[in-house]
Amino acid sequence: MVQQNSYFDHFLPGKVYYRLLMVVLLTATFLYSCDPDTPAPVQEGPTAFIFPDVQHFPTQLNIPEQNPMTVEGIELGRYLFYDGRLSGSSHPDSLMSCASCHIQSKGFEVGIDHPKYKDGHPFGLPTENYPEGKPTPHYTMHLLNLVYNSNGYLWNGMIHKSNERKGPEGYEFMGDDYLSYKYLESLVWMSILAEHEIAGSIEKTINLIGSIPMYKPMFTAAFGTDEVNIDRVSKAIAQFVRTIVANRFKFYKYVRREVDLTQQELRGYQLFFSEDADCFHCHSGSLLMTTNEYYNNAKDTVFDDPRDRYAITGDLMNKGAYKAPSLINCEINGPYMHDGRFKSLDEVIDFYSHGLVYSDYVDPLMKYVKENGVQMTSEQKADLKAFLLTLTDHELLNDPKYSCPDELGTFGIRDYAY
Amino acid sequence: MKWNGIAWILMLGLLVNCKSNEEDLSFGKLLIEFQHLVNEDPASFDKLIYENGAGNPYELSNIQWFLSDVALRKKNGEYLLIEGEDWIHYVDTDLPQTHFWEIQQAIPAGSYTAIRFTFGIKGEKNSPNRFANPPESNMFWPYPMGGDEGGYHYMKLNGFWLNPEEERIPFNFHLGVGQIYDLEGNVTAFIQNWFEKELSAAIVVAPDQTSRIYFKMNIQNWFINPHVYDHNEYGGKIMNNQEAMGKIKENGMDVFSLEIWEDGSTK
Repeated sequence: MVQQNSYFDHFLPGKVYYRLLMVVLLTATFLYSCDPDTPAPVQEGPTAFIFPDVQHFPTQLNIPEQNPMTVEGIELGRYLFYDGRLSGSSHPDSLMSCASCHIQSKGFEVGIDHPKYKDGHPFGLPTENYPEGKPTPHYTMHLLNLVYNSNGYLWNGMIHKSNERKGPEGYEFMGDDYLSYKYLESLVWMSILAEHEIAGSIEKTINLIGSIPMYKPMFTAAFGTDEVNIDRVSKAIAQFVRTIVANRFKFYKYVRREVDLTQQELRGYQLFFSEDADCFHCHSGSLLMTTNEYYNNAKDTVFDDPRDRYAITGDLMNKGAYKAPSLINCEINGPYMHDGRFKSLDEVIDFYSHGLVYSDYVDPLMKYVKENGVQMTSEQKADLKAFLLTLTDHELLNDPKYSCPDELGTFGIRDYAY
Repeated sequence: MKWNGIAWILMLGLLVNCKSNEEDLSFGKLLIEFQHLVNEDPASFDKLIYENGAGNPYELSNIQWFLSDVALRKKNGEYLLIEGEDWIHYVDTDLPQTHFWEIQQAIPAGSYTAIRFTFGIKGEKNSPNRFANPPESNMFWPYPMGGDEGGYHYMKLNGFWLNPEEERIPFNFHLGVGQIYDLEGNVTAFIQNWFEKELSAAIVVAPDQTSRIYFKMNIQNWFINPHVYDHNEYGGKIMNNQEAMGKIKENGMDVFSLEIWEDGSTK
């Protein structure tokens, strides 16, 4: 039996009853839709790639909203990264792609023992002006952990979202109607046009890639249609590069208490993170082993490089300053410094120990410049080197998901180490 | 019926009372602007134009520092913690966006008599890996020199000084957790070098307005009182020199000051 005058009746006029009923129905509908047993609607289009959290790495990821990561986009990017026909030519002598200078087994740098690029100094495809190929103005940087860097790409940080400089117009690119210098994606078109790299044309590259039957379904899977353009090629390659994460090195595992360091490695660790060797101010901040900042590290007294950090900022104190690269894989990714002047890790350690030179533009963090360096003994150098070798991510160097796809056949730029 | 009428009257009275209380609770906003001075003037960077208490000519390159536990003191002596216990603000002379701290928390309008803060980060909050992202993560203080409660520099103040030979030498005037070493160079204890400071001022938070406070660091005072700091004595690096860091901590007591806008602290 329903009571005619319940306690709440005064406050529940007819409209309220109706609204309450609606709320109950809506709630029930909502709850039903959240039932895990209810089959999810079939999703069309590319599969979103969820970037995993990497402990001790930044949580802010440099992924432009115009280029969300997808499983299909990454896979397409891997093919394009290794496809020598990115040069716009299928002639065996004219093949070039990202993988020509970014070698997986060398931590995605050139490596000191490259069979073609002597001393690790790459050069472009032959042109009329440079029949032997124009050497790159700077030595290659690695491609590790770039997704965690929001402070500019290249040695001088020119590639940054704040860069308003316009490249060639007439192309749709990252939401603009011109090619820009803002994104990791920008490095693709820049490499195609650069005289010291592919020295080609965007049209030739796009036409050739677009004519390869294998790519049509891959572009459709990644972008919805099989149209090939510079925007999509750039986006796919950038997606792949963003997945190159190096975090399986011994020191990383030590920090996670998964492995122990040897006594010598521990001594090197203490040195690295002390004022005695003072590596950490520029090469830490997280386990990326770099601050991604720019420093004049007391290499020179004369500064005439038109591509240093000063060229970007106009700040005199940035003369001769370059990005501090990550030390992950520093064991194998020489030559070192922007101009490749040091061929071995021992040379780098010697430089910081005894080779610094003063200039008015030296970074204040180079506080040992008056003594020409931190003055390590040979034992300390050996200890420091032992620690630096714990930064090698051996698993990454052989990881199949970053390797050249077999399907590219003779057009694939293979790792020369294998 | 009679009792029903009385109930209605009581309820109406209660509602009116609640409404008048609500009207009393008005809120304003607070904006703290950080300024770096040398004595009275805005600091100039990359110019060798200053002289510290020891007579060392010096120039400034950049300064990065943390402040935390910021609280407003009410008239009744209680403190209103700003943005919660976990909040830590980062200031960087190279990053203009860090010079302004627009506090999101609604501040009850009224008069306050002081700001209390911690220079640096207290040990329990200064755990390694607290900051995942730059620029804060680049303030990292190495584990061997700081342990579990010394994850980050409190301050990096970088520059150059002229030594007696007139050579321009870099200095890293860095403050964080200090260490006690045994004769063999092993760390036997850590010393927390953060400090608390309270700056008195008549701070008025006006309803529905943003009140602005200028939070000033007089860089020169790091080198003067009570200890005259001589770069020639301590050299360019002090992160493993507790004697130097202890003096800096004590010198820090008169480094900070507040300025309130003349028009009743609002803008």
